Amino acid sequence: MHKGEQSITVENLTFAYGEDVILSKNSFSVRGPGLITLLGPNGSGKTTFFKLLIGILKPLEGRVFLNGEDVTGDPFKAGVHASYVPQLSAVRRDLPLTGLEAVEAALQGKERAERRSRALEALRLVGAEDLVNRKLSAMSGGQLQRVLIARALVRDTPIVLMDEPFSGIDPRGRENLADLASELANDRLILLSTHDPVLTLNKSKTIVVFNRGVKAVGSPEDVYKLELLKAAYGSGVLIIEKCLHVLS
Amino acid sequence: MYLDPRWVTVMVGSAAAFGALSPLIHARRFSFFAASLPHSALLSVALGYVASSTLGGHPAAWAILVSLPFSSILVHLIHRGVSEDNATSVFVAFTVSGSVAVIHYVLTNYPARVSLWSYILGDPLLASWEDAILTAAIASVTIFLSSKLLLKEMSIGLDSEFAAVSGIKVKFHNYLLALMLTAVAVSLLRVVGFVVEHVALLLPSAVAAQLARSAREFYIVSILTSVLASVGGLVLSVYLNVAPSAMLGFLLLLFYVVSLLTGG
Repeated sequence: MHKGEQSITVENLTFAYGEDVILSKNSFSVRGPGLITLLGPNGSGKTTFFKLLIGILKPLEGRVFLNGEDVTGDPFKAGVHASYVPQLSAVRRDLPLTGLEAVEAALQGKERAERRSRALEALRLVGAEDLVNRKLSAMSGGQLQRVLIARALVRDTPIVLMDEPFSGIDPRGRENLADLASELANDRLILLSTHDPVLTLNKSKTIVVFNRGVKAVGSPEDVYKLELLKAAYGSGVLIIEKCLHVLS
Repeated sequence: MYLDPRWVTVMVGSAAAFGALSPLIHARRFSFFAASLPHSALLSVALGYVASSTLGGHPAAWAILVSLPFSSILVHLIHRGVSEDNATSVFVAFTVSGSVAVIHYVLTNYPARVSLWSYILGDPLLASWEDAILTAAIASVTIFLSSKLLLKEMSIGLDSEFAAVSGIKVKFHNYLLALMLTAVAVSLLRVVGFVVEHVALLLPSAVAAQLARSAREFYIVSILTSVLASVGGLVLSVYLNVAPSAMLGFLLLLFYVVSLLTGG
């Protein structure tokens, strides 16, 4: 159980790739534990936003606070509070690493026996015991995603960011991962990005609508509305049979 | 057929050192750097010869000393956002031009006590006991350091952003790996030679990547492949009367083809 503060606060955050502005003086704050869904279409800058939160990228302006500590542009400081599950495409699968070794590698500076036992525990937690000795290159997308989640969890941080964990996963695998994220959020702040709101809508405590900036923050009932979703998805939102559909 | 223990020591020692570094090169995608390293090693050896002749000291020590800034500049350029291709092109252009200029200067101004041909083609058969002891020491240190670094380097190779968040100083490791590679490549240039050195650095891990089922196996198979090729190359070279480094290169190539056909 993670005790103490679990919060992400962003103040006046501004970031751009040259002329391409991703964030302009954006502020928002979310608290844990619970599952927070960062909802936005492909290409909206969700990954860049995550990289700003964990200090990999430095903003042009503004500050990022994790659990009240200023971690702006400093991955070492950010790493004390938060861990990160990248998109599958960001990971090299050609390296001859087993699932256990990939998770163990996240625990630098620990004794080998401790690394091993904690890595095995993390793999068990995500239901990936059978992947201990399997090479990353021999895993399916869903299996690799579980190993990457175990790798993030083994660091035992109160905040975990998951970048598009459902991409490249079959429908059954997506449901399982959504259930896992929801379960893990019982005692952690899980910030999960997705372009498809359906899987986590009912499981989320808060929804952050994002497209080149934070467009709305609130409970699913407050945010999952036509006008707010249109702010992020444009005309790709339709009401069919009184149900909202996002055609991202 | 006679195999001098000094020949065996320098061949096995250098192969073990290259075989231990090769998985790190593969994991970190440092192949561009390893492939260009013999150029700077040759320039450094030539500069080391000039420095030791004019200022005193051991030429190998001078060569290592002058080689380190070259590699640091290359890594610095990449950190500054210059693409690997461009940075390597500049690096090779400078070191190749420099090598030709300095070698020409050495050949025309100094009575060469050591044949530059041995640095170009490699000649373990000229090894003295001092060379053999030095090679064994370099191999021991390289294996010790690379085994300690393996999992960290694999972690950075797997996903450098996660590695940074989990507390690994990625930029420091870039410099560390570049300097380790440089020191070993310059020290052992005379054994394998300028022409074959990058093969000795790159192919052992290419073979091991085909066969290994884990990081640990990857490391061990790379060293064993390299050592097996070096001993086999030495025996064949004595038997067939050809250059040992050439046979080392051919055997590594053969092992790679076999690993491609049989590996998973």
